[in-house]
Formats: sequence, C-alpha cells, structure tokens
Amino acid sequence: MSARGAPIRVEGLRKSYGEMPALDGVSLEVGKGEMIGLIGPDGAGKTTLMRILCGLLVPEGGSAKVMGFDCAREERRVKEHLGYMPQRFSLYPDLTVAENIRFFADLFGVGAAERKTREERLMEFSGLGPFRKRRAGHLSGGMKQKLALSCTLIHTPEVLVLDEPTTGVDVVSRAEFWEILDGLAREGIALLVSTPYMDEAARFSRIVLLHRGRVIAEGSPAEVARGSRRKLLQIRGPDTVRAWRLLREEGPRGIEALRFGDRVHVAHETDEEDSSVRRALAGLDVSIVCVSPGIEDAFIALMGGKETGTA
Amino acid sequence: MTRPTYFHPVAHLVRKEFLQVFRDPALLRMVLLLPVVQLFVFGYAANTDLKNVRLSVLDESRSRESRRLVEAFYQSGVFIPGPAPSRPDDIERLLTEGKAEIGIRIPAGYARDLAEGKQAIVGVLVDGVNSSSAGRAQGYAEQILLREAVRGSAGPVEGRARIEGETRFYYNPELRSRHYMVPGIVVLIITIISSMLTGAAVVRERETGTLEQLLVSPLSPAQLIAGKTIPFAILAFADLAFATTIAVLWFRIPLEGSVLLLAFVALLFLLVTLGGGLLASTVSATQQQAMFTLWFFLVFGILLSGFFYPIENMPRAIRYLTYVNPLRYMMSMVRGIFLRGAALPDVWPDLWKLSLIGIAMFSLAVFRFRKRVR
Repeated sequence: MSARGAPIRVEGLRKSYGEMPALDGVSLEVGKGEMIGLIGPDGAGKTTLMRILCGLLVPEGGSAKVMGFDCAREERRVKEHLGYMPQRFSLYPDLTVAENIRFFADLFGVGAAERKTREERLMEFSGLGPFRKRRAGHLSGGMKQKLALSCTLIHTPEVLVLDEPTTGVDVVSRAEFWEILDGLAREGIALLVSTPYMDEAARFSRIVLLHRGRVIAEGSPAEVARGSRRKLLQIRGPDTVRAWRLLREEGPRGIEALRFGDRVHVAHETDEEDSSVRRALAGLDVSIVCVSPGIEDAFIALMGGKETGTA
Repeated sequence: MTRPTYFHPVAHLVRKEFLQVFRDPALLRMVLLLPVVQLFVFGYAANTDLKNVRLSVLDESRSRESRRLVEAFYQSGVFIPGPAPSRPDDIERLLTEGKAEIGIRIPAGYARDLAEGKQAIVGVLVDGVNSSSAGRAQGYAEQILLREAVRGSAGPVEGRARIEGETRFYYNPELRSRHYMVPGIVVLIITIISSMLTGAAVVRERETGTLEQLLVSPLSPAQLIAGKTIPFAILAFADLAFATTIAVLWFRIPLEGSVLLLAFVALLFLLVTLGGGLLASTVSATQQQAMFTLWFFLVFGILLSGFFYPIENMPRAIRYLTYVNPLRYMMSMVRGIFLRGAALPDVWPDLWKLSLIGIAMFSLAVFRFRKRVR
C-alpha cells in the first residue's frame, strides 16, 4: 500500500434524501487487489455509496477517497483512476460494440495505439471479438454487461466500482463474469462490487453487509456467518404459523422471528432470550432446535426482518 | 495516464453525436426533410395572396355592359367562375354551403342606369368566415366595380373616379406574400432543428443512462455542454445554407443583404435555441416531455414573432409581450437582410436585444444544466 492509503477509503459517510437517511456513518476500505462485496437489500444504500465514490453525489458528512483523492473535492482526479459501472446498462445502444469502446477510450484520452492493444485484450477476455460490429442494443444481457465492463476498463482504472453487475444476467454468464472479476483482482485492481444475491457472497474475499445505511457486519463470508453475535432457533411443527405470529406480536424483546416456508427462524443473542422464546412457545405443538446459521441465515438475521425480500 | 487535452474530448463527443444522428432514421429525416417540407408547404400552400376566389354571378341585366363587368372580374386574376345562381336567394345559399366565396347581383336596370349617368347599384355578398381574405376580396371587387363604372358611365360616378389614390409598395413591390413568408420559414427551420435536436439529444443520454457515464468521465461540465450543442449548431447552419439556397434558387426570393451578416445573426440566435433545448432537457425526464415543452414555447414564439400576423396589429398588451420574444427580432432581421438588404447598422437595434436574450437564456441553461447533473 502506498502512502496514500487504500485505493478506496470511506469514513463516516453520511447522506440523506430529505428525511430518509441513505447512508448513516458508513466506513470501509478496499485494498489493492481486493474484491469486496457490498451486500444488502434494495434501499440499503449501496448505490448511494457508489455514486458518492464516483463524484456523482456529494456526501453530507464523512469522507470518501479514491487513490487518496477526495471524491467530493477532487472529482476530476478521482475519475481518472476509477471505473464505474452503474446498475442499468448505460451504453449507446445505437452504436456498435467497437464504437462504444472507441468512444470511451477517446473520452478518457487513451491514444490510438494504446487503445488498439487494450481493445484486443478486452475482446479476448470478454469473448466479444465476434460481435465487434454488432450494435450494443442487440447484445444479450450477459454480453451487454461484458461490454459495459470493457468500456469501464478501457482507461485501465486502478479502482473499479460495479453496481449489481450480475443482476438480470443468466447463470452461465454470471459465472463467467465472476471469473473475469477475479482475474482483475489478481492484476491488482481494487474492486467494490454490490449484489443483492446472497449466494454470490461466497465469491468475495471480504463482504460488507449494508442495511438501512449502516454497516451491520464485515469480514470474510465465513466470518460473517460464524461471527454474527446471533444464534438461531429453528421452529418447526403444526403450530409454526401460530408460533411465528405469537413471537412477532408479543415475543420477548430483541429477538427476530422470520418465516421460511414451513419453518420459523428466530435470531437471538443470549441464553436468556433462548429460554424466554422457549417459554413463550410452551404449549404449542412445535419442535425447537438450535441450529448454526448458514451465510444466508446470518445475513437475514443481521438485517433483521421486514426488508428481506431479496433474500 | 494520458491527460486529455481540452479540445479533444469535445471533438469526440461531436463525432459520436453525428454518428448517432446519421444512424437514426427519424433524426435524419428531421434534419434533411424538415427544411424542404416546410419551405414547400408554406411557400406554396400557405400563400396568403388572394387567388382562385369563386365568384357566383346573377346577371339580371343580361346586357353588353353587364357581361363586360363580369369579364372584368375574371380577368383580374383573383376570381374564378363559381356555380351560377338562378334566383337572388341562391347567392346566399351558395355562400352558406361554401360553394362560392363571393356573389354579385347585377340588377336588370344596370345598363340603363349607367347610360343615364345614374347610380348603378350592384349587390356584392362576401363570405366573411375568413375575415382577412374576405376584406381583401371585397376590396378587389370594389376596385373593379369602380373602374367599370367609370368606363361605362357617361358622367362622373359620385365624383370618386377623380380621387383614385395611388399606393406603391417598396421592397416587396408586388406585395408577394411568398417573399415575406419564405425568409420567415428559414428562421423557423433553424429554430426547430437546433432546439429540438439539442433537447432530445441531452434527454436521450439521460434515458439511456449514458449521461451518468459521461459524468464519471474526465469531461468537465463545460466540455459536456459544448459537446452536446456544437453538433446541432453545425446541423442548424447546414439547414440554414440549404434553406437559403432553396429560397433563392427555387422560390426566387431576393437575397439583397450579406450572407455573412445572415450567418452572424443566426450564430447569435443559436444561443437562444440551443439554450432553450438545454433548458427543456433539464425539466424533462423523457424525450416526449422535452418535445412537448419545446413545442409549447415554440408555438407562442412563432405566433408572436410576426411570422403570420403583423405585430402592429396585435393588442397593446400582447405587443409588449413580443419584446421578450427572441423570434420577433430574428424574423425582422432575416426579412430585412433578405428583402431590404439590411446591413449591420440597420439590424443593430434588433441584434443587441436578441444577443441580450440569447446570452441570458444560454447562461440560465448552463447554470440549470450544471446544477441538475451534480
């Protein structure tokens, strides 16, 4: 790491839309060659954080730095080092693959000779070579994402910010895409990638769970799953639904009961809560067992409740 | 990292914009066909010269004199024969049914009255639905009647024959409405092309999300604005040259003034239209919204520009409103340059006002645009 610190450094970042806080004191770091997953449901603040990093939004408090440059005050320097791929496909659908790449190369001041070699490499690793003359609007979802990534990479940024790059992409293309991103990390690029898919969490060396504008957990996927302070009670049986209602409406404080089809998972922290749950459910026809949470359970338990629709 | 120069990114944006315009059939049609269609539609169809007015004649006199009068009407070039009425009531019916625009009734005693030097009364009925053409048709009819009366009468007719006034028009000697209309259309064309295309192009970038991509590139807001307006300024100039060529070579409109001055005036006018396009883009989320917003203002601008209706004839309050209408100044300057050979000192009173409005509008647009993208 240079004296400038980590390629991405965010400290106590705050931003709100009117009354609604979108980011409420978020801090995180992404090192060289690291691929960090920013995980959270819609509305968690992932996109807001990324847009601040790109200089598209100005934070209300805290600081965001890319390669040591302040994202709010030195945005032009930041833009030279950063590649941003927004959630929506954002290229010119009426221009061809090659024309899109060329335009973004020109925009970033990449010389013609340099552009040629980079373009060749990008075509090779993305598999877009045969589609050079095709209009971007006529590409498949996976191809579009690869083209968008290629355009983002044409100026060889040291930092990549990708907002839900695999949303709406088929499974095969998704796997290919992750391999490409792994390769980029090995080359030393710092990547911050957001995803609403919990099963993609395992792809990252480190994940940051964002919920309602706050970081609720951070670490390797295994650490987050294990290190969650919470434990899980699994409730099954004929009275599962009644048990779930009872726990939601008048259960002990500090616990969260979530329904998963025929089961209810109760996240809790202490043994006392464990026994109070068991006491509350006494008399109902259910079995209660303590289970070790999987990654998904851990996420959901940590996020706590109602906005877990994307799980 | 290669540092981009100041000029190059703008040039790339311009190149990309042209690539898109020439690839989009709808845009290309607008750029190439709009000038031709507008010039020919307005140049021919919306001709306000009085022509082909259908005249229905009830000749009860059936005399040599009455036939000569009718002949005089048809020879004027204004009137053509309409359906023949058989009774006085028929004339009114023909007008009501829209089968004729004007009817005259020559009474039985016409030839005799003329010969005796008495006042001959010829009934004239005019369809007044279109008040301006009705007024002019009536004027023509009266002139013809007067002339015939003088020719056919033994004595003076109410002494009017002697006070025939002589009016002569300068600059547009035949008062050909085409001479007046076509330079106005040239103004309309560059107005529509530059404002609409700019507005649509910026909003399209927002719709496709590419605006955000441009904003995360090292382009400065000034470069971005330049890149989004210069292509349409170029297209507007191409259309100006194209339309002027058609006006001069096809419609034989005299271009008395300097082409250079015309271009210079147009350049300043583009501040208004490009600024307007940018402004519309800052208040619109979709291309349709931008188009509707622009049309709303364009319709007012055109109606209050003196393009169709002379500003002098407008009510006082509305006349004041035209002082802030940039199109008003542009119309008057372009017509002056075409028909009067106006030079810089002649157009100066209009030019400085237009420049003021242009600078104000473009600055406001840039301010709003920068605020909106941040």
